[in-house]
Amino acid sequence: MSADNEAKAQEKLIDLAAEFYDQFDRGEIPEMSVPTRTKSNIVFDEDEEVWVYGDRESTRSANSVRGARKLLKAIYTIDFLSEQLEEDRSSTLRELYYLSESWDVDEAQFSSQDESNQLVEDLEIVSEVTREDFHMRPEESGATIMGPLHLREQTRRGEREIHCQEDVGEGGYQIPNNPDTIEFLDNDADFVLCVETGGMRDRLVENGFDEEYNTIIVHLKGQPARATRRITKRLHDELDLPVTVFADGDPWSYRIFSSVAYGSIKSAHLSEYLATPEAQFIGIQPEDIVEYDLPTDPLSDSDINALESELEDPRFQTDYWEEQIEIQLDIEKKSEQQSLASHGLDFVTETYLPERLTEMGVL
Amino acid sequence: MPSIQSTLGEDEGIAEELAESQRQISIAEFFEKNKHMLGFDSGARGLVTAVKEAVDNALDATEEAGILPDIYVEIDDEGDYYTLIVEDNGPGITKEQVPKVFGKLLYGSRFHAREQSRGQQGIGISAAVLYSQLTSGKPAKITSRTKGSAEAEYFELIIDTDENEPEIKNSGTTSWDRTHGTRIELEMEANMRARSQLLKYMQHTAVVNPHARLTFKEPSMDEPRQYERATDELPAETEEIRPHPHGVELGTVLKMLAATDSHSVSGFVQEEFTRVGRKTADSILDNFRDRHFGREAAWKPPQKHEKSDLARAVAEAVSNKSKDATAAFGDEVAEAIVGRNRLAHHELVELVAETAKSVGDDHGETFGDTVQENAVEAAWEQLTDDRVGDLYQLVDKATSTRKDDKTVRGLAERLAKRFEKGRERDRATHDELREYVDRAADQTEEYDDATIGDTARENVVMEVWNTMTTVPDAVPKVREFVDDRDMASDLLEAMKQTDIISPPTNCLSPITDDLVEAGLKKEFDADFYAASTRDADVHGGDPFIVEAGIAYGGELEADGQADVLRFANRVPLVYQRGACATTDVVKSIGWRNYNLSQPGGSGIPNGPAVIMVHVASTNVPFTSESKDAVANVPEIEDEIELAIREAARELKSYLNKRKSLEKRKKKQNVIASILPEMAEKLADVTGQEKPRYEDALARIMNNVLVEREVEDGTVRLVVENNSGTNEDLEITDIVSAEPRNLSDGATAVDMDGEWFVKWSPTVESGDEVALEYEVEGDASFDVSVEGIEDPKLTVNQ
Repeated sequence: MSADNEAKAQEKLIDLAAEFYDQFDRGEIPEMSVPTRTKSNIVFDEDEEVWVYGDRESTRSANSVRGARKLLKAIYTIDFLSEQLEEDRSSTLRELYYLSESWDVDEAQFSSQDESNQLVEDLEIVSEVTREDFHMRPEESGATIMGPLHLREQTRRGEREIHCQEDVGEGGYQIPNNPDTIEFLDNDADFVLCVETGGMRDRLVENGFDEEYNTIIVHLKGQPARATRRITKRLHDELDLPVTVFADGDPWSYRIFSSVAYGSIKSAHLSEYLATPEAQFIGIQPEDIVEYDLPTDPLSDSDINALESELEDPRFQTDYWEEQIEIQLDIEKKSEQQSLASHGLDFVTETYLPERLTEMGVL
Repeated sequence: MPSIQSTLGEDEGIAEELAESQRQISIAEFFEKNKHMLGFDSGARGLVTAVKEAVDNALDATEEAGILPDIYVEIDDEGDYYTLIVEDNGPGITKEQVPKVFGKLLYGSRFHAREQSRGQQGIGISAAVLYSQLTSGKPAKITSRTKGSAEAEYFELIIDTDENEPEIKNSGTTSWDRTHGTRIELEMEANMRARSQLLKYMQHTAVVNPHARLTFKEPSMDEPRQYERATDELPAETEEIRPHPHGVELGTVLKMLAATDSHSVSGFVQEEFTRVGRKTADSILDNFRDRHFGREAAWKPPQKHEKSDLARAVAEAVSNKSKDATAAFGDEVAEAIVGRNRLAHHELVELVAETAKSVGDDHGETFGDTVQENAVEAAWEQLTDDRVGDLYQLVDKATSTRKDDKTVRGLAERLAKRFEKGRERDRATHDELREYVDRAADQTEEYDDATIGDTARENVVMEVWNTMTTVPDAVPKVREFVDDRDMASDLLEAMKQTDIISPPTNCLSPITDDLVEAGLKKEFDADFYAASTRDADVHGGDPFIVEAGIAYGGELEADGQADVLRFANRVPLVYQRGACATTDVVKSIGWRNYNLSQPGGSGIPNGPAVIMVHVASTNVPFTSESKDAVANVPEIEDEIELAIREAARELKSYLNKRKSLEKRKKKQNVIASILPEMAEKLADVTGQEKPRYEDALARIMNNVLVEREVEDGTVRLVVENNSGTNEDLEITDIVSAEPRNLSDGATAVDMDGEWFVKWSPTVESGDEVALEYEVEGDASFDVSVEGIEDPKLTVNQ
């Protein structure tokens, strides 16, 4: 992150405000158009191989009470962000929500955090500046990395050089909110392994999987934060490492994979910055459930709905996913990563992962 | 009282003994025992009724004399008793009449008149006198001064209840500050528990009598309360009308028959009833003939090929005439008969007579009465030879196609037999015909195993009745009716059956919708008023007009039910709300359709509203003698509903408009507070001056925006219409210097150094108009815009 970036972000914000100003001056009703953020309005970008927003837009216009309130909040938020950049400070999304309580105009205050989050996303899209460049942090900090990677992080307290195996404890290296403050120095890695659950990540570290296979283990912590996705993409792009995703065998985990690989619906405007289209899914695949005879849970109604909705999701329109989802709908079962322990604690590191990774051509 | 057993033994007969104690009771005595019937059942109510009767009388008296009423009502608390004083500025009552008016029940000019007036029975005010005398034992004190007389007459009188005659206790002359008028003072046992009803009565009287000034004082008031006039126009004078044929009862008809100067019934109905002329009288007489004499069946004549048979039969009936003449007579009668569509007996008689004359003239012979009678008889035999075939066709036409041929034929045959056995000349009244059909049908059902329902029977009756013809028999003279109830009843029915145009309405004096509204306006402080006056309609021969008014919003009580004000002939109805047709109708209307809240979808609506209904009629049907509630007469209920709905429709559109304006205003308030905040913050962020947001605001509001631009001595008012409709505006700019070169046909008026520049532009939806003028030097401006609701207007000076 450079001072340049901050200045550019601030300028973009003020440009946005100036546009409202001009609309007023021309006697026009101020308005702001943003792409509609729904599943039906994402399209595949052939060049970048990621999913981005389509042409449909929603307009926030001051000609309705709702629209006027939204725009007022937007202007207040612009003012706040601009000052934050001016003072080189940062805040969390949640802090923004609470901070609005202190604004002098009641109508400008947010009524829920969803509203403030959504507004920040709106501003990102319209100004083409990422939230990180506004110095807005998400509530939960990024996840962790463990593996043969040497890097330099630009912190508020100066530069730090860190080796992600030797300089860290068992918890691993904490990914900062803005991974663009990191510079990769050196690595011995063969591939990146993104893991959904903390339990599995700890199992892999305890079994020394990262050392044995020269793996950079990225903990996703459920649905991955932007910082996690960003650093994954950078590991792939800058270090040329294959990226694999290891998650549970249920529809929600497939979505975790798809947001790593193709981008999420909410942040499709940042897909080319966050998504790693080359990422590969290890499992648990529905066919693994059968093949490895894993303990299962039956699919709930919401699981079935989610699977069916994935069949219509443009991001899952591939032969591979269609086949996997059909299998799962057929067997009506799901399994967790940690169900592999039914074959012993080392089964995952000694049998399952090597087999799958070989099959996928990573090993 | 001695037992009957004991008296039976006496010489004197029991009937005589009983007769001794039997005597006529006077009407006054009767009401003494039944004062509740007149609304004097309690002290509280008695006072209200007394006020009501006295005020009604005073209003009637002044209006009749063409004087704008100025009425003073005072109630004083005298400890044990209350004194009621009512003064009017009417014409006064002559010395001779005073005792009768106030001291004799059922005395008055109204009872027999068909004309709208407040009092009708002539018992009201004298009943109040009676009540006062019964409870306080004091006489009524009456002062009356006729115009131009030097002094007022003063009486103290009581009613002799045995004789229903006034008894003057004291009389003389006195001085009085009013130049003409009447004053009555009654002392009575009473209380003020009905204070709110009294106040309501006065207020409601003021509403329906916007031409009257009322003053009211009761013991708890420091100052009398004034109800001012809203108009100086007296109600239209009413004219008395004769009764309408649809509105009389048998007893009345008999009385009228006895009293009339007319000899003929035709003259009687034309003279004594309204809306009956020659033609209507003829219709009534024909209807009477149908009922009284019955109609004669008219049969289809024999077919053409049977003509010679018919001619022969007729000729054979003729004797002692030359052969030529006889044959010619037979031929011509037959010819004439065959030429007819249908022929009834009396028509045949006429036809034969005519033919007899013409053939007789041709042959120089005379076909006398006997010959004619014989010929008629012979021809009638031929005509009625095939009743069955004729009736078969009628029955077949009248019944549904599903009836099989056997049933139709069976019914026709039996019906034909009824005619044959029935009255001479095949006469039958409608009732008799129905009887024929019923019996024929019953037999057909029994023997032919058919079903002939009520509708089918009625259809047959109607089909046959329509072919029958009214007889030309002379209607009896009026004097014969007087003693013949049945015949009089036939006449009454005949009148009711005849279509007669509605009675004239100049006997009614509606308040008119404008004055209903004015009356509501002066007594109720509301935001909205609507009124409607219906056209006159008739119930039982009495014309009536219904008017309704609605007031809404403002200072009216918002909690609870709307106020329902009921009036009959300009008199407020205070008691028995629940028994009144007016209340029933108000409850039956779905007020939610008119945007008033109505829990459960029926009943009196809730909200800040007053609903008033006025029924004016020559004879308002009340549920009881105390005249508190209008009876449930369907015609009147229908009109009440229509009148209320008419006014309610206006209320609805007002409420709708208000709602959308409120919504718009709310939106406007929110957006109008947000936009300046946006502008201010934008100024903050961009480091510029606050942007002009007014134009954007006007657009958002679909508003009409008026903006002033001043440049080099040219003043330009730009009117921008952002609304969806064309707007007609009145724009006035007040300028402190003389304006020149006014554009768009503007006018400028100089008012003490200020110029009023006025335009009346029409700005189309989405369009913009620039109004210009020139002015020299510094000037100040002030623009005002009319013709558009405030919430829709934005003015930027």
